[in-house]
Amino acid sequence: MLARVANNLFWMGRYLERSEHVARYTNVNYFSSLDAPNAISQSRQFVLRSLLFMIGAPEQDAQKPLHEEEIIYNIGLNPEYDHAILNNVKAIRENANGARDLISTELYESINRFYHYVLNYDPNYFVKRGLYDFTIGVTQRTAILRGKIRGTLLHDEIYSIIMMGVNIERATQIIRMINAKYQDALMAKGSYGDKVGNSFEWTTLLKCAESYDMMRRSYRKTPTLLSALEFLVLNGDCPRSVMNSLNQVCNHMHILHLDHPPDKGSTSFLAGKLRAEFQYLRVEDIEQDINGFIQKVLERLYQISNKMEEEFFLY
Amino acid sequence: MSDHNQNALFSSYNRKPNLFDEVFDDNGTVKAIYEKLITLFGQHALDDYVHLNNKAKASFFNQGITFQVYGDKTAQEKIFPFDLFPRIIDTADWEKIESGVIQRNRALNLFLWDIYHEKKIIKDQIVPLSLLSSSVNYLHQMHEVDPPGGIYNHISGTDIIKHSDGKYYVLEDNIRCPSGVSYVVCNRTALKRALFGVFNHYEAHAVTNYAENLLQILESVKPHGVDNPNCVVITPGMYNSAYYEHSYLAKAMGVELVEGRDLFVENDFVYMKTIKGPERVDVIYRRVDDLFMDPLEFKPDSSLGVPGLFAAYRKGNVCLANAPGTGAADDKAIYTYVPDIIKYYLGEEPILNNVKTYRCDRPDDLKYVLENVDKLVVKPVDEAGGYGISIGNRLTKEEIKAVQNQVKESPRKYVAQPILSLSVHPTYIDENQSFEPRHIDLRTFTLLGKDTEFVLKGGLTRVALKAGNLIVNSSQGGGSKDTWVVKKDS
Repeated sequence: MLARVANNLFWMGRYLERSEHVARYTNVNYFSSLDAPNAISQSRQFVLRSLLFMIGAPEQDAQKPLHEEEIIYNIGLNPEYDHAILNNVKAIRENANGARDLISTELYESINRFYHYVLNYDPNYFVKRGLYDFTIGVTQRTAILRGKIRGTLLHDEIYSIIMMGVNIERATQIIRMINAKYQDALMAKGSYGDKVGNSFEWTTLLKCAESYDMMRRSYRKTPTLLSALEFLVLNGDCPRSVMNSLNQVCNHMHILHLDHPPDKGSTSFLAGKLRAEFQYLRVEDIEQDINGFIQKVLERLYQISNKMEEEFFLY
Repeated sequence: MSDHNQNALFSSYNRKPNLFDEVFDDNGTVKAIYEKLITLFGQHALDDYVHLNNKAKASFFNQGITFQVYGDKTAQEKIFPFDLFPRIIDTADWEKIESGVIQRNRALNLFLWDIYHEKKIIKDQIVPLSLLSSSVNYLHQMHEVDPPGGIYNHISGTDIIKHSDGKYYVLEDNIRCPSGVSYVVCNRTALKRALFGVFNHYEAHAVTNYAENLLQILESVKPHGVDNPNCVVITPGMYNSAYYEHSYLAKAMGVELVEGRDLFVENDFVYMKTIKGPERVDVIYRRVDDLFMDPLEFKPDSSLGVPGLFAAYRKGNVCLANAPGTGAADDKAIYTYVPDIIKYYLGEEPILNNVKTYRCDRPDDLKYVLENVDKLVVKPVDEAGGYGISIGNRLTKEEIKAVQNQVKESPRKYVAQPILSLSVHPTYIDENQSFEPRHIDLRTFTLLGKDTEFVLKGGLTRVALKAGNLIVNSSQGGGSKDTWVVKKDS
């Protein structure tokens, strides 16, 4: 596979995953806040700030009143706004175009339908009444794309490159969500006991990761800071967990590298090392310094992605 | 779909008596081969038809077969206009077309070999030397180069029209980078999605076998000593207007689609940069023009090409399809000699007619052209895409003067032909919500390989969508139709 094209596929996978997470985070936060148990969690300003924080464009001025329709428009459909879902979907298609000969017609057509869906979505309707429909529409279409990737491509190096992108992005987005919700929980505290630990925000976090129901199945308890973290970071069975993403990254690295053992400092080495650390990490170790942990994991994920570009895509 | 709607779609069809209509005869009766089709289409009320038409458009959007139109603020995506009413070519007509284009392109291949080697045809005074020495597309770099398999024009797009006398004429040869074949496939796909029922009534030849034949042809011209050739398609990139076609062909053949920057040359061998290091490339289907393919040999500022590619080619280490320098045989001045070229190399009479062409570099012809600009189509010799053409009966007096001056200034640059009347075909016109006669032509696709040849059964029927317009190129607002070559018994 051409190095340039591999780069396109990797980023196609990343933008695909990113659009989904942004759409889902927006949807879940907005709608779960409507009947949230406390005034802070219910406040529009609080929700809008959380959305901006998660997508990586936090509002620095704590006093500035945010305009709901403007923020929603920016996150969804503003072509001038880098973080907009619209621009993520454009990037999916642009990258798919660069690798159009390698991916299946079925996948490409699904990407195209997705693109036209987002491009033609009426911004007025979106900001007034379409937030639910649009964000659900986006998450459903990304699921179709993942299905087409899994179901219509050869599971060879092309597939592995895409899945590397998907999984590195997924781990990154999950950590970003945890970060955003952690900041939210510090403000919107629960009403009894460990007030941060028992915040309503942990339930929202799990719903943002589409993992709430399965978490209930595993723990049979209302989510707390520790159980939510344990489930979303360390539980390898949870398909959205960082652990699960790292497992997949390592599997796909194996397909790309085949026989030779990873050189020190290679992508495979960095990913394998992080996975090994996670295998022997317990939630109590994270609890001590959650902020520090989040920053460190993000750094390690960026490092893996950068190494990947250097190793495979430089041309 | 009730009875009173029968043929509602065609009831207002305004047949033009002086033009050759592909579907209706002089009495306005439907020709036998179109009868079933007209009945089937007639069963649709206008609303149904509009709905189907939109479905076909959506099919193009979803397949991503679009081009960008840049407006004031935003880029808009448009599809190439497509007409749902297909064109049918019967077996007898097709056999003539197929044998005709093979004959023509084989002769052009022999001509190319000759003009880049001994130049016998010039020594025998069939074609004047001045024609080559004045041709900008003749590449002296190709002199004495032996292309693998002896093939120059692996892929040829021969444009054919039907004149009002009911006969086929070749309008032009395209043997540099002819495009359009992907639209043949998409048009079929779109028609099948919108109107699958009609295929139960006609047995049309499939068009999806083009890519497998193209790959076979490319593999047949592998460099000496290579067992399993690695073929690639080279494209100028994703912003090129034909990028969809490049990617379609690469995908359909299952080969890599590369850009110039993905390739490099070392010790006169060509490699591509993969995630696992360099991989050798043996055959390149080239969709980058001659002058852009190698900055060391041609345009030094080209960023689309690969430095050293031509040297590798000259050594026989890589095959380029089409070969560089084929443009010397498809310009409009050479066109007039093609019947002579066929006779000279093959000893055969041309199967397809050539349009009478006046060469402005001949004093007699020049005189005739200058006196009859109003009755002629005057074309520049070396422009593609329908640019620079003037059609005599559409010109004002001032415009005729301007054409005369242009021609006088550089006669070698122009040829002229009688104004041909291209046949017309019922075409759905969106604005008027009705079927109207529109002029069409046919681009055929011929493949030549080492001891093997193939013609795509079908081709791209191009439609001039503006009423009365004769120029069918998509860059001039043309659309296209699915084209069925039917099997004998249907």
